[in-house]
Amino acid sequence: MTASSFRPARRPGFAPLLALVVLALAFAWHVSVGARTIPLPVVAEALLSYDASVFEHVVIVDLRLPRALLAAMVGAALAVSGALMQGVTRNPLADPGILGLLIGASFAVVLVVGVFDLAAPALIPLVAALGAVIAAMAVWGIAAAAPGGAMPLTLVLSGAAVTAFLAALVTIANLLDEQSFEQLRVWMTGSLAGAQGGVMLWALPWLCCGLVVALAIARQVTALAMGEETATGLGLNVGRVKALALFAVVALTAATVAMAGPMGFVGLVVPHVVRLFAGQDYRQIVPWSALAGAGYLLVVDVAARMVLAPVEISTGLVTALLGAPIFVWLVRARL
Amino acid sequence: MSAGLLIRLDGPVTYALPVHALTVLAVLLGLTCTLVVASLMAGSYPLEATEVVMTLAGRAPSDMAQTVVWQFRFPRALAALAAGALLALSGATLQNVTRNPLADPSLVGVSQGAGLAVVAAMVAWPELPQAMRPVLAFGGALAVAALIQGIAMRRSGGATMRFILTGIGVAAFVSALTSAFLTYGQIDRALSALGWLAGSVHAAGWGEVAVLGGALLCLAPALVMASRPMAAMRMGPEMAVGLGLRVGRTRMALITLSVALAAAAVAMVGPIGFVGLVAPHLAHRLARCGVGLHLALSAATGALLVGAADLAGRLAFAPVQIPAGLVTALIGVPLFVWLLLRTQARASL
Amino acid sequence: MTGYNNSDAPEESAASCLRVAGVAVGYGDAPIVRDVSLDVLDGALTVLVGPNGSGKSTLMKAMARVLPVRSGEIRLDGRPIGAMPTREVAKRLALLPQGPIAPEGLRVRELVAQGRYPHQSLLRQWSRRDAEAVEAAMQAADVIGFADRPVSELSGGQRQRCWIAMVLAQETDILLLDEPTTFLDLKVQVDLMRLLRRIAKEDGRTLVVVLHELNVAAAFADHLVMMKEGRILAEGHVERVFTAANLREVFGLEANVLRDPASGRPVCMPVVTSDADVMSRIAAQ
Repeated sequence: MTASSFRPARRPGFAPLLALVVLALAFAWHVSVGARTIPLPVVAEALLSYDASVFEHVVIVDLRLPRALLAAMVGAALAVSGALMQGVTRNPLADPGILGLLIGASFAVVLVVGVFDLAAPALIPLVAALGAVIAAMAVWGIAAAAPGGAMPLTLVLSGAAVTAFLAALVTIANLLDEQSFEQLRVWMTGSLAGAQGGVMLWALPWLCCGLVVALAIARQVTALAMGEETATGLGLNVGRVKALALFAVVALTAATVAMAGPMGFVGLVVPHVVRLFAGQDYRQIVPWSALAGAGYLLVVDVAARMVLAPVEISTGLVTALLGAPIFVWLVRARL
Repeated sequence: MSAGLLIRLDGPVTYALPVHALTVLAVLLGLTCTLVVASLMAGSYPLEATEVVMTLAGRAPSDMAQTVVWQFRFPRALAALAAGALLALSGATLQNVTRNPLADPSLVGVSQGAGLAVVAAMVAWPELPQAMRPVLAFGGALAVAALIQGIAMRRSGGATMRFILTGIGVAAFVSALTSAFLTYGQIDRALSALGWLAGSVHAAGWGEVAVLGGALLCLAPALVMASRPMAAMRMGPEMAVGLGLRVGRTRMALITLSVALAAAAVAMVGPIGFVGLVAPHLAHRLARCGVGLHLALSAATGALLVGAADLAGRLAFAPVQIPAGLVTALIGVPLFVWLLLRTQARASL
Repeated sequence: MTGYNNSDAPEESAASCLRVAGVAVGYGDAPIVRDVSLDVLDGALTVLVGPNGSGKSTLMKAMARVLPVRSGEIRLDGRPIGAMPTREVAKRLALLPQGPIAPEGLRVRELVAQGRYPHQSLLRQWSRRDAEAVEAAMQAADVIGFADRPVSELSGGQRQRCWIAMVLAQETDILLLDEPTTFLDLKVQVDLMRLLRRIAKEDGRTLVVVLHELNVAAAFADHLVMMKEGRILAEGHVERVFTAANLREVFGLEANVLRDPASGRPVCMPVVTSDADVMSRIAAQ
């Protein structure tokens, strides 16, 4: 019996190629749609032979392209972190929002920016990461200490408790400093508008790190998803995988919150859809989640911008409006 | 068996009430009075205890004292107490009916539903009279409760955890809608709505007190009648039928009662979380008694919680006022976590 | 044959307050109980047995009016049970469902007191009669020794006795118990059944019990009812019903029915393949 007899049959490389094409189309659509729809040929022109004197070109490159890139990155990051969390905790309801990471990161940012007045772009992702990891450990710790251990139900309740606590603190911080209220009000709902270039640049390494680590441990997460004792029996170092997964999730979440504020439910919804097509192997789920997440958020962002034009709804609100019913459906279907 | 009981076994009216619980109730009521006096004394215009008592008796030492006490602090303190009592009663009822110690009107989206209805009204139709608010809140709360009930119920013995999780999901949805209204409404309306939404008693006047007091008075008889069915419901639906209770009807009535109690409070002072969850448990720990007396103890505990939270919120970062709802969250979450740590996640309804 | 003889068993044509006639019960489309007729003998201990899914619990729930019947009717004292006010039924008939869960922190005495619900009202919350009934029930179920302890601290068997005390406190002539002995040690099961049998005989109450354990059923039942796939396949006096043929047909069980010399009651021993058979099968491969 050789090792090769265990390798799953390779499917033709159709699907990834198709997915990339779809993603590219979504991207292009996102860029072309807006207060004024810019036809696709002009978009292509702006990207390939940029001319600073053409108004449309400037709009595309200075405004829309960054936003589209942001949407794609944030979508991919959130989806991958959700997938990892669901695999490691064996909880179909896990998501960086529900388990408190988003609010932890936001709270840390609000604290540092609002209260201590330190707004250096380099600092923000780091601060967000610290907040996220502390919140995650608090949620996990409480659930694990409960009778019955960290069951899916207990984990979600623990997440709800920590979220409520931190949300109250964030609101208090906002009330104590009315000026930041206006500034942060929109950011706190999860928004892709107004991402400063500086922060994006500093968040990028976190994002890449997180994605790379996620891809690297994907195979082990698959084993872990079968149960810790089974995984240990297969020779897996469970503690190390969990630590790496935590690092990846925190890095991805920190990057997201730094750039776009807390955007919930993306990490919940996308991996479930991906699993319908890609099965249970995280070597497939992680990359597909990244692609699907990017596409999902691009489309959602278009909706957020266009549905009540000219008023723009925060993308985070739309993801909640879409994601919460899906969460409810999941509870009904899976528990 | 009669030791420690206020008991009457014969005649048309009979009862057996534990003396300890009655004593605790008296103590809580005494503490409440003390809290009210303290609330009247403290603030940007401090008053002595004697001045407060004189003002209450109608012989105010100064016009300023009269205004401060009768126009601002007294209605506010009473509103806090009444709201706390209503929320605690709502939570206790819900916990008895669902047989789940983690039930709370704000955890299952009821408060959020009431909140959405009122915020939508405040932002979109600011001309709407304040008297309409309780009606809207009740409607919103009832709609959300019905929605959650409809989604979470399954004939294969619905799990209460599923009920609560569904509530969390629906609450998230409703919160997003509410945020949308807040974010895209005009800033001044949004700010006042946000203040209300955080669960704030500070704008409460005699109008609010009247509505809250009225709600308590109207719903009190219902609660008195509900205490016996609630005791039977705690034994489980099948046993309750065996004991001669009409379970389906009683369940509907009690959930509606719980929603009405919470909606009344939320309509006047915004959603104040965790009181409904925590007050009944504190009451259990303070004294052991039957369901009826436990409801009274819960109400007193809830009143104290919100009253104290409001006072703390007023004084902690003066002159900035922290809404009572945020303070109850800060107190309530650790208590909720403590409950989580000792309650087996039961999945039975 | 000592101890047990036919004259101990109540007459087949004796009175019956609770009658089930042509009843079908089910959830949704699937009927779980189909066309069951049963007259529950007064003053006797009737035991319902059957394989999983045979409808025993469902039938009991219908008898206790917890589930509505799809067809047929259930009569209590000659009146259709569905038409009677539920409180009145609760004074005639008590139900102990499967796996009951007590509210947290309840003491034994408080649990037993819950059984008085149908006799109480808003003004009459706790009367002398209630106090007496609770004391008597705790005595009868032998739980008075730990009356002031929390129910959660007790062992499985002790807890079940508390629940039985609770339904006793309800002071009904008819008691329905759904699998009161499941998950308990054999000795504890036997003790519980002895208690139930004593209640039936001494107080003249009518008991219907769903049991899983065949030999326990055979040892204590006056009247045995065997159900399979929603129908009653055999019912009657234990002697007549507890036969190898019935065990085979209802349970698919190959067993020998023996007689216990001490009590005279039937007992079944499942047929076990002998070692010789196993060896010959291996040799044949």
